Amino acid sequence: MEVNPFYFFTSSNLVELTGEKAKTLKELVDLLKRCTGSAIFYHVFQSYRERHFAIEKYHSDFAQWISTSLDEEILAEKLGALDIRDFTSIRSLREAMIQVIETHLQRYPRCGSQLGKTPFFFCQSVSVVMPTKYIAWSLEDFYQIIEKIGVRSIHYHLIEARLRLGIHTNDFSYWLRTSLSRDRLAKRIEGIDIYFHTLEEIRSIILQYVQEEMET
Amino acid sequence: MSSTSLADYESIVGKQTIGELQLLAEGLKGRRVKMVNSTAVGGGVAEILNRLIPLLNELGIPTDWEVIRGGEDFFEITKKIHNALHGEPLSLTPRMKEVFLEVSRENLRYTNLDQDFIVIHDPQPILYIEAKDRTAAKWAWRCHIDISNPNGEVWEFLNGYVEKYDAALFSSPRFSKRLPIPQYLFFPSIDPLSDKNRNLEPEFIDQVLERLHIPKDKPIITQISRFDRLKDPVGVIKAYRMAKRYIDCRLVLAGGGASDDPEGEVVLDEVLTEAKGDPDIHIVLLPPTSSLEINALQRASDLILQKSIREGFGLTVAEGLWKRKPVIGSAVGGIPAQIIPNLTGVLVYSIEGTAFQIRYLLTHPDIAKKLGEYGHEYVKEEFLITRNLRRYLLLFNVLLHPGERIIHL
Repeated sequence: MEVNPFYFFTSSNLVELTGEKAKTLKELVDLLKRCTGSAIFYHVFQSYRERHFAIEKYHSDFAQWISTSLDEEILAEKLGALDIRDFTSIRSLREAMIQVIETHLQRYPRCGSQLGKTPFFFCQSVSVVMPTKYIAWSLEDFYQIIEKIGVRSIHYHLIEARLRLGIHTNDFSYWLRTSLSRDRLAKRIEGIDIYFHTLEEIRSIILQYVQEEMET
Repeated sequence: MSSTSLADYESIVGKQTIGELQLLAEGLKGRRVKMVNSTAVGGGVAEILNRLIPLLNELGIPTDWEVIRGGEDFFEITKKIHNALHGEPLSLTPRMKEVFLEVSRENLRYTNLDQDFIVIHDPQPILYIEAKDRTAAKWAWRCHIDISNPNGEVWEFLNGYVEKYDAALFSSPRFSKRLPIPQYLFFPSIDPLSDKNRNLEPEFIDQVLERLHIPKDKPIITQISRFDRLKDPVGVIKAYRMAKRYIDCRLVLAGGGASDDPEGEVVLDEVLTEAKGDPDIHIVLLPPTSSLEINALQRASDLILQKSIREGFGLTVAEGLWKRKPVIGSAVGGIPAQIIPNLTGVLVYSIEGTAFQIRYLLTHPDIAKKLGEYGHEYVKEEFLITRNLRRYLLLFNVLLHPGERIIHL
């Protein structure tokens, strides 16, 4: 079988400020309904990566704000518990978030107009994608490149790829499955909990999985 | 201008990061940039430009720097506009607008505008945009000021000019406005190799303390900032006094002046009066060339404060965090962007809160150390000059591809 190589790219993001802000839960849910998919993606997948050296209680900016600014811990926990692997698109993730908040608002209507300590500012990002010099033709190449590639490249292929491929998979798994027929390894990489590991830890986990795959 | 080269940063940010900067600059080689601000020395903007411009030049993007020239009346007006953008009352008289316009027009008569990108810093030179029709350049307005609650009349006046730019750059999401042009988040930055931030020998730190007559016999709390009411130096003294009832410590208030700030001396007098009679309060007036002394004071400190009432960004927070120091900062301006509560520092909202956190962190050194360590990592990720350089390279690429969300180079 002819193998398609894996071209490693890297990306950098410029954060765009939308000028939209929510001061209450009601305003947050209204903005969630009409903000861009890019804004949802930014606040759920991208912004916390700027703090990739530490693990915080909530990965989603929305849950974080509801916890720290509104002190609505029940809702923050429910929102924080949404498992991104259950969704195949930003649209379905958006709908689920809106449903969780609106259910909470029906139960506790008074918290809808409570002012947060600080507003929630909606952002989105513009990505500049660049090719790197690294190309993998085999699992061995893949291992060696993952060992030394910058964490932004890992972020691009593992996390940003979800915008292109659907949020349940990533570039690495797609290539391993379709080009190297390594379905087991592809699934293991899809199963990495991207929220509870730093990017360096994720690099180590991928290396460990690839090593184990090569030994079998 | 700084003489450090990109390769000098490799040991701090890694080879990959430097390689990515070179990749981002590849398609911009030969494009020319002009930066315009209001002061060549003193203040964070001049410091950043001093370090950033040589790096842009090294990457093959010729960049020049122009400082707007004006008389005392011009800088008094711009200082008032600055304070009004922070929310202070001001009614712009026709004469004020006239001086503001005249100075810009006079400067523009001698300004070469044949660059590809022109970045105007802060309100002083904002009217340069009137010359947009003379150029093919893309124009960006880089606002370093906290404009979350501006004086309405002044903002309305400036907004008419902001809207003519191709992009606006703000230091915090809090400063964003509903504008018809794209707005981007642009944190300012510190230089880990500058005299203000590089590693120092312990002997040198001791010498500086000795020279400034600051004994090391008790914990040292330090606020480094200009003597400016918006930095609340008197509030810092009050917080220190409240904390000192429980834990003995020294307070160092150290700062310099900037050539565009005529109010500094008045505020310094107020601070000296407030501190009178307490030998544990050290008021240190430093000339703009005192970077090594500031570095030494921060490194000698057990705790860094930035208790501003309003703040553009508050780079002293990043400076303290880079030195792995616990930082207590007000939740204003760009400070919350640097201090993730209880992860990279502590945010406070009052003098009483500041006093409480001083007591807490001085009695819990293990927690203070952890905050400092995370703070250092966060600064490495977000607030170093190399990250600022990356943002400018991204901006220039984005300005060449208006309306695109994903740009493939």
